Amino acid sequence: MERLRSTSVRHVAAAVAVMVIALAVTTLAVGALEGTLHIPDASATYLLAVVSIAVAFGTSAAVATAIGSFLLYDFLFVSPTGALIVANAEELLNLLLLLAIGVVVGQLAGMQRARAETALLRERQARTQYRVGRELVTATNARSALPALVEILRSEVDATRAWVGLGPDVEQERVEADSGPAGPPTVAASYELLQRRPGDEAMGWVRVHDPRRTTAGLHDPRDPCFRIPITAGAGPLGSIWVVRRRSAGPLGRGHTRVLAAAADQIGQALERDRLAAEATGAEIARRSEAAKSALLDSVSHDLRTPLASIRAAAGSLMDPNLVLDGDARRDRAASIDSEAERLNRLVTNLLDMSRIEAGDIHARLEVFPVEDLVRATVERMAGQLDGRTVALSMPPDLPPVAVDAIFIDQVLTNLLENAMRHAPPDVPIRVVGAVTSGRTVRLSVEDGGPGVPAAMLDRVFDKFYRLPEARERSRRGSGLGLAVVRGFVEAMGGRVTARASTLGGLAVDVELQVAPEAGTA
Amino acid sequence: MPDGRPGAAVLLVEDDVATRREVAAFLRGHGFRVDETGDGATAWERWTAGRPDLVVLDLGLPDIDGSVLIRRLRRDATTPILVLSARDREGDKVAALESGADDYVTKPFGAAELLARVRALLRRAAGPAAAPDGEVLVGALRMDVARHEVTVAGQPVRLTPREFEVFKVLLGSAGRLVTHGRLLRAVWGTAYSDEAHYLHVYVSQIRRKIAAVDPSGDLAGLIAAEPGVGYRVRLPDPDRS
Repeated sequence: MERLRSTSVRHVAAAVAVMVIALAVTTLAVGALEGTLHIPDASATYLLAVVSIAVAFGTSAAVATAIGSFLLYDFLFVSPTGALIVANAEELLNLLLLLAIGVVVGQLAGMQRARAETALLRERQARTQYRVGRELVTATNARSALPALVEILRSEVDATRAWVGLGPDVEQERVEADSGPAGPPTVAASYELLQRRPGDEAMGWVRVHDPRRTTAGLHDPRDPCFRIPITAGAGPLGSIWVVRRRSAGPLGRGHTRVLAAAADQIGQALERDRLAAEATGAEIARRSEAAKSALLDSVSHDLRTPLASIRAAAGSLMDPNLVLDGDARRDRAASIDSEAERLNRLVTNLLDMSRIEAGDIHARLEVFPVEDLVRATVERMAGQLDGRTVALSMPPDLPPVAVDAIFIDQVLTNLLENAMRHAPPDVPIRVVGAVTSGRTVRLSVEDGGPGVPAAMLDRVFDKFYRLPEARERSRRGSGLGLAVVRGFVEAMGGRVTARASTLGGLAVDVELQVAPEAGTA
Repeated sequence: MPDGRPGAAVLLVEDDVATRREVAAFLRGHGFRVDETGDGATAWERWTAGRPDLVVLDLGLPDIDGSVLIRRLRRDATTPILVLSARDREGDKVAALESGADDYVTKPFGAAELLARVRALLRRAAGPAAAPDGEVLVGALRMDVARHEVTVAGQPVRLTPREFEVFKVLLGSAGRLVTHGRLLRAVWGTAYSDEAHYLHVYVSQIRRKIAAVDPSGDLAGLIAAEPGVGYRVRLPDPDRS
C-alpha cells in the first residue's frame, strides 16, 4: 500500500505492462492447449495470470486482469470467434464462471498481499522506533545521539538528506546533526510542515512558504523538504528536517509516523537532559552555599572567641563592685593584651589570605642570610613561647637566600605558631637549615606533637583545613596559617611540603631560592 | 565581701582557655564558687560528683555537642543552664533552648550582661515565681493564678483568657528565655507551634494593658523579646533597685 501510493505513476505503468504480458503469454498457452492438445476448455489457465498479478500488484490489477481474461477468451476462443458474442449457453456459463472466479481469487490474493505489506510496514516502523530509542538511551545525552539518529531516519524514509536543528524557532535553529555532506543544509523557500501535538495520532502536512529563505544549491529546490517539529513540556525545542527526491512522491502515513515518533522520542530525551542538568546545577549551588556558610561560621567563631575573653576581662576591670588586687588587675590586662594579639594574628592571616587569593601579592626579593631571618622572628616571638624552646641548627656555610622580608617573617611566624600549638612544652621546636641539590635552601620547622596522618599531609596547606582529630580548640588554629605560608612561599618562587618529623610530629619544609650571587655577596 | 549570693556553685564548661579563665575570674570576683572544665566528659563527671547551682556551657565542645549534653543534664535535674556560644543564628539558639537550656548569651557578651543572666536564673530557681499555680509577684505586679487576676499596685489589668494564659506561662518561667515554640505549645497545643506571629499580637496587647495601669513605667521592660527566638520576663534585680 505504502509503495503503491508513494510511487503511483511508475507503479501503474509497470502493472499495466506486466498485465499485458501475462495476458498475452496466457492467451498463447490457452491457444496451444485448445488447438494442439484439443482440450475443450482451457479458460481456467487465465486464473494463473489473475493470481500472479494479484500477488504482485494487488486487488485492482487482479480485477482488471480477470476482466481482460474474460474478454480475450470470449473474443479469441469462444465461437463465434473474433466477436464478443456467445452462442452456446454452456460456454456462456463457463465464461461467466471464469470472470467470477477471477475477480474473487484476485481480490483474495490482493488482500493477502495488502496484509503482508501492512505487517511489513508495521514491523519496519517498530524497528525504527526501537533503533531511535536505543540510540537515545545508550548515548550519554540526547545531543550526542543525534548524528546516528539522522542517519537512521534518512535511510528509513528514503530521504536524500536528514538533519536535526535545535532552537526555540525556525529562525534560531542551529544544526546539531546532519546526514548530508559538509556545509550547512539550507531549507527551501517552501517546505511541508507536520502539524500535530506531541504524541498525538492526528496529523497532516501543511505547505509553508518562507520568502526569506533561498535554496543554496545543496539540493534540487524542487525536491520536497519536510519539517517535523520537536517539542517537549517546555515548548518547541527544534525540528527534524528531511529532503526527498521529487520523484519519490509525498511522505506516506507510515513514514510520517516514524518521523513523528522520532521527534517525540528526541523531545523527551532533550527534556530529560535539561531536567538532569538543572538538578545538578541546583546541587552544586547548594553544596557551595553550604561550604560558604560553614566557612563563615568558622571565621566568625574564630573572631568572636578572643573578643569574648577581652570583653570578660575588661568587664572585670571596669566592674565597680569588684575589688581586684594588683596581680589580678595585671592578669586581666595581660589577658586582654594576648587575646588582642591573637585577634590581630587572625585578622592578618585573613587579610593575607584574601590578597593571596586575589593574586594581589608581589614579592620584593632581597638577599638575607638565613640564620638572621630565623633569629629575628624567634626573638620577636619570645613572649609567646610559653616556656618552650626553639633549637636552631644552621650550617655555617648556608648561602644567603632571596626573599621578601615581610613575607618570610609571616611564613616563619605562622610555622612557629603552628608548631607551638601542637608541641608539648618539654620537647623543643626544631628549625633546621640545609642546602638542597638544586639551588635552594631548605628550612624545616619540626615539632614533637601528635603529628599528621600520612594521608592528610597534602591537605594541611589547604585553606581552612583542620585535622578532624584536632577538634580541641585550645590546639586548633584558624586553618589559615599554613595556607598563608604556602601562598607567600610560592610568591617568592619557593616550594613548601609537609612530612612526618623524627621528633614525632609534623615537619614543614620550605625551599627558598638561593641568592643569585651567592658566595660573593 | 563582694555582692551577690556568696557560695552559689557554678559549673563553667568552656573549651577556649582564655575565655574560660576570664569568665571564671569574673564570676569568682562576684563571689561564686566556680568549677571549670573544657570538655563534655569532665563536665559530666563534675556534674555527677557535686550538683552545681548553675551550669554555664559553651555549645561547641570538643567531644560532644552542647545540645546533647544539655539534654543529658535535663534528664537529671532542673538546674538552670546558661548557654554561651559564638553561633549567632536563631536556629542554634532555639535548638539549645528547646533541648532544655534556660537562657543564652552570644559571644562576645558583656560581663555585666552575663552576671545579670546568671543572677536571674539563680533567683528564678530559688524564688516563688517557680510555683505556677500560686501567686506570682514581680515588683508591683501580682498574678493570682487561681482567680485569673492580674493587678499592678492593686489596679486590675483586664486580660482576655488567652492573654492571661500567655502571660502565665511567661511569668511561670520568669528569668528564662521561653521559645516561641514552647509558648505556643503550652497555650494553643502542638498544632500551632510554627505560628509565632500569633504571639506578637498577644504579647503587645499584654504590654499595652500593663502600661495603661503603670504610670511610673517600672514594668515597661517586663517582657523582653529575643527576635526570632522567644520572650523573657525580666525579674527586677534587687541588687540594683
